[in-house]
Amino acid sequence: MPINLALGHVSNDFMIAALLLYSLSVLAFAGDFAFGRPRRTQPTAVLRPAKAAAMAAVGAAGAGAASAIPASASPAAGAPAVNSGPPAGTPDSMPALAVPPLRAIRQAGRWVQAAMALAAAGVSAHTVAVVTRGLAVHRAPWGNMYEFVTALTCFAAIFFLFVMIRYRAWALGVFVMGAVVVALGLAETLIYTAAGDLVPALQSYWLSIHVTAMTVATGIFFVAAVLGCIYLAVDRYDRRVAAGKAAPGNGIVSRLPSIEQLDRLTYRTIVFGFPVWTFGVIAGAIWADQAWGRYWGWDPVETWAFITWVLYAAFLHARATAGWRGRRAHYVQLLGFASLMFNILVVQVFIAGLHSYAGVS
Amino acid sequence: MTDVRIPEADPFDAAADEQDGRLAGPPAAAPGGLGLAGWLRWAWRQLTSMRVALVLLFLLAVGSVPGSILPQQGTDAAGVQQYYAAHPALAPWLSRLGLFNVFGAPWFAAIYLLLFASLVGCVVPRTFRLVGSARALPPRAPRHLTRLPHSAEYSVALGPQDAVRVAGQVLAGHGFRLRGPADGGGSPDAAEPWVSAEKGYLREVGNLLFHLALLGVLVSVALGGLFGYKADRLLVQGSTFADTASDLDEFYPGRLVSAADLGPFTITLDSFEASYITSGSQRGQPSSFDAQVSYTAHPGGPVRSDQLEVNRPLSVDGAKVYLIGHGYAPEFRVTDGRGQVVYNGPTPFISGSSGNFLSEGVVKVPDAQPEQLGFTGIFVPTAVDVDGTLQSAFPAADNPVVSLIAYAGNLGENSGPAQSVYQLDTAGMHQLTANPQVLQVGQSLKLPNGQGTLTFTGYVPWVSLAITHDPGQIPALICGIAALGGLLLSFMMRRRRVFVRARAESGGGSTVRVGGLARTDASGGFEAEFASLADELRSVHRAAAAGGQADPEPDPQSEAEHRQHEGK
Repeated sequence: MPINLALGHVSNDFMIAALLLYSLSVLAFAGDFAFGRPRRTQPTAVLRPAKAAAMAAVGAAGAGAASAIPASASPAAGAPAVNSGPPAGTPDSMPALAVPPLRAIRQAGRWVQAAMALAAAGVSAHTVAVVTRGLAVHRAPWGNMYEFVTALTCFAAIFFLFVMIRYRAWALGVFVMGAVVVALGLAETLIYTAAGDLVPALQSYWLSIHVTAMTVATGIFFVAAVLGCIYLAVDRYDRRVAAGKAAPGNGIVSRLPSIEQLDRLTYRTIVFGFPVWTFGVIAGAIWADQAWGRYWGWDPVETWAFITWVLYAAFLHARATAGWRGRRAHYVQLLGFASLMFNILVVQVFIAGLHSYAGVS
Repeated sequence: MTDVRIPEADPFDAAADEQDGRLAGPPAAAPGGLGLAGWLRWAWRQLTSMRVALVLLFLLAVGSVPGSILPQQGTDAAGVQQYYAAHPALAPWLSRLGLFNVFGAPWFAAIYLLLFASLVGCVVPRTFRLVGSARALPPRAPRHLTRLPHSAEYSVALGPQDAVRVAGQVLAGHGFRLRGPADGGGSPDAAEPWVSAEKGYLREVGNLLFHLALLGVLVSVALGGLFGYKADRLLVQGSTFADTASDLDEFYPGRLVSAADLGPFTITLDSFEASYITSGSQRGQPSSFDAQVSYTAHPGGPVRSDQLEVNRPLSVDGAKVYLIGHGYAPEFRVTDGRGQVVYNGPTPFISGSSGNFLSEGVVKVPDAQPEQLGFTGIFVPTAVDVDGTLQSAFPAADNPVVSLIAYAGNLGENSGPAQSVYQLDTAGMHQLTANPQVLQVGQSLKLPNGQGTLTFTGYVPWVSLAITHDPGQIPALICGIAALGGLLLSFMMRRRRVFVRARAESGGGSTVRVGGLARTDASGGFEAEFASLADELRSVHRAAAAGGQADPEPDPQSEAEHRQHEGK
């Protein structure tokens, strides 16, 4: 079937629209940092169980869950007091999960509302762009480097939008969406490739399966890498404060989730991405077996996919090993992401191998 | 309660169970004076520690790097030779370190074998522990439930014993394993009865499955290396080959494979067509390949036909045949000085790096009289003249020409080492034509001194086939899928404990405290699950109190409430 050029142009227009909307959402997230409601509230008075009351509330120990929720938003009287939440003294930039997402966004102020709306609109436009590109070329739209980067940033944005809503993590929006804007902008300016056909080696339904999994996993690891960078920045700041080298109460850090929350969020992100990556490697092995007559041959790209897998596995193990938790574990996962990027940007483009399909010229 | 720790801190339970110094922290004092057995035990404990496993994982990653940066013997032998030529001083040292064959090098094998030994040392004891813990009861309820990561508290107009009994029924209904004071371990506390519940043993099952499956992948790969084979064969259109060691171009048997183990099938290439994109920026890129073959699985068997495509191998007699390359074989007819036809047929030419299938090859005519004849030449599928040199403008044969240099003399085939069919040894020969002679299809080259005539009669395509047999393939696939399943299981399940205590109040009724703890909560859903459980316990307790007696069945309303919570 011939390439549908008109649809290809529609895709390009939506891609530019997505880039614009993402940029505006980053501005709005930044505006929230600059002008929004302060979020690090003082721990509210701890509610002590009253013996006479029909139900006794075991207060949200210290601060945590309850502090950001106005009294009116508390669970209806009669519900058991449930104490689940971060330890005492945690800044409340990630409001409690007990509040429904939409209400939590409303309570977060106008800047966050605008940013979330823009991000959601951007994700929609981005998705439309990727889907129309796929319809234009009659295949999964990740057959060359440009398509791959636009698709992976789309998956990253979708995933992060979900994370922001699920974990109320909009305090991280400016960083993650900012990174999406940079990656998508670079793809548009440096490696744009017009809609086109694929070489026979890529004309397989395993392209859809293997490369889709790899693209999704890369998008997820992309989010994890940005979270890891934020973790390291906050960790460094906290240690400087502890050492007396920096003044506590930094305006940006105080708006970010606590170091434990960041750590948990990163871990969950990687836990989500790792099986997807594993599946992608297995699907790739099946495709390699059909195309090249062996399921694993230490082709450079295979080797680096393996290195990436080993490093993320090392991250998961490092979190369970004394002396490797925290900062070191995050260095390991960033090393994993670096190897992933090296694979995409260097190995596939410059090192000859069977995977040289990048289509960058 | 030693279990209280940040729940997510141990994705792999190993360290969690072995925080008591085995896996975490530096080793105990060096076992001086313990003798050989002591040292061995110390070494084994080191090897199976998470810390050493982590180091081995890093080594595995770092060790793989040269395998992708340097050319490797198995995949790019020509690249290795080029590297030797470019770095004559360095290359022998790299070779001695096994860096041109990283994935077969002893040091690389040492890393992964140690890693797998470490894995076995960790997984086997844990399997026994899992079996043990599946039999054992949950631990006793801690005294202060509000100190657990998740807790809830409410009053209910039920006696403590009834409240705990009802709670146990609710928890059992959710598939928790229960332990009450009656199950032993501690004196029954009439004033404050309790129940412990635990769930999610499948998490550890998934974790163990994942690691064992990785071991299975290694075994499968070894199986392929021992009992499998690989072979290559170039097949010209219209010709046939048999899967025997002598009829294959290259044959790489596994360690325990001999030529007798090859399947006796034969394959004929009936036709091959390649089509190319003719316009646009991707002009000259192939758009499809289509090879029609007929084959017999064993001598005298029925002839079947099949279509061989990229990504679509042919399975025959336990082996798989892949289309991995193609090219042109120009056809020549050579008449010697006596007027006899001494050569007539296609000769495969190999396309070089200059693109668009500008291919090189040689023609050897050993039977020619009075002297043997040899030709070196190029085949150009779509010839264009660029400043006096022939170039190919397109990979399809739109304007095919050959350009040949003729030699006469001794081909040297009867002496010295075996020759490549793609190279002409001109040491014993003299050049007959000063310049390359360009021929189109049907044109002839008349050799000087009555040495004969060569006619370029046409061309046919050839394909290169890879024949592989790998008995480890299916086991590797099964193990890969099992590893993925185990991984998902271990990430999605969470091992969690819920405790309920009820204390009698002076005014009648009791205060119920519920505590919850997820040992590992990778997906992070325990918070919501606990809230929902606490909610359900409360409404069932209320309903039981309202009914004046302990109602064992959760009432429909609280069930609905429960579902609502689950849905969130």
